[in-house]
Amino acid sequence: MVHITINGKVVKAREGEMLLAAIRRQGIDIPALCHHEAVEPTGNCRLCMVEITREQWQGWKKYVTSCLYPVEEGLIVSTHTPELIEIRKNLLDLQLARCPNSEVIQQMAEEYGLTKSSYESRPDADNCIMCYACTRICEVLGKNAISAAGRGHDKIITPPFGEPPPDCIGCLACAQICPTDVILWTDDNTVRTIWDKKFDLISCSQCGKTTITRDFADYLIETRNLPREYFDTCDECKRKNLAHKMGDIVTAVEEVTL
Amino acid sequence: MKYRFQIIPSLCIGCRTCELACAFSHAHDKKPGRSRIYPIAYAPDKYVPVACLQCDDAACVKSCLFNALRRNDETGAIELDKERCVKCMACVAACPFGCALFDDVHDEVVKCDICEGTPACVQFCPTKALVYEKIPV
Repeated sequence: MVHITINGKVVKAREGEMLLAAIRRQGIDIPALCHHEAVEPTGNCRLCMVEITREQWQGWKKYVTSCLYPVEEGLIVSTHTPELIEIRKNLLDLQLARCPNSEVIQQMAEEYGLTKSSYESRPDADNCIMCYACTRICEVLGKNAISAAGRGHDKIITPPFGEPPPDCIGCLACAQICPTDVILWTDDNTVRTIWDKKFDLISCSQCGKTTITRDFADYLIETRNLPREYFDTCDECKRKNLAHKMGDIVTAVEEVTL
Repeated sequence: MKYRFQIIPSLCIGCRTCELACAFSHAHDKKPGRSRIYPIAYAPDKYVPVACLQCDDAACVKSCLFNALRRNDETGAIELDKERCVKCMACVAACPFGCALFDDVHDEVVKCDICEGTPACVQFCPTKALVYEKIPV
């Protein structure tokens, strides 16, 4: 346990955790786009900037991305000073110029009093803010199916050579983690399409409801040592099967005791 | 594990009080359809309250690629860390009893967490078909 001061209040924090987690636990809302607990922090969006200082720094202070800064004993953190609000406003101004059509960014910018970017908007803008959340989560999965390609302002997140990624298993983790919902997918009956690759969805053998993709199930069976029959039916049918199995036992026991 | 959640189907009368208790203590909109316990009829007027059994070697924990599901050693429950969950549905598909499920209205995975040690369904079950008790180690 270490003690830090957040906005004048002394709080306890777990050793080794990042400032952002400690701050959010206090119910203080700091915007962050690229942060997700399941992936390593990289500080790409920079919106979670906070001001830190120490008593022995004699008034000196510095601005750090709280998602990347581990807590230290005696840190004094401020989260909403006028300078920080100005920094976040500038960052959102730039994000708004990059992604003028993103609802998430529009909403965040509006909270900081911005409705239109003061910079010129990017022509043919998509909603990608290059936070790498999708590539990082794919890395955690152990697949690395997508990555960044190109340089400078031409940099995009894409599967290798822009072709359907051979390593993708259609789990949708990248689409789900994306803060601005850029990665699109479609589920059409038993076919899922993401990154231009088509996947077979498993249909429940009893009711036909689709669950996850066959490739994803195969990956789980292989790496996590799970029996294949777990993936044959949907959750509702599995509950019914369990009830019937338990019921059979109850009836059998009743017959014996009678 | 110090505690164990037990289902005794022969005592269940299918009153669905557990479902209501769960919905009231957990679900966003207090709808019974959003509960984490499901009394299912296997024969006319014979019910089994199906709920997460908090398996020792749980398929949901094994299937989670992001360590979002972890066992709380105090209550014995497998708890979902919503901050870590990316909604890939691996646990929903992997659970052999279908007891991890996806709430598509609120876009989140829902799983029984034993109400952090005081399960509402157990407290409200009129016939004690649901038991949550300490087990001798």
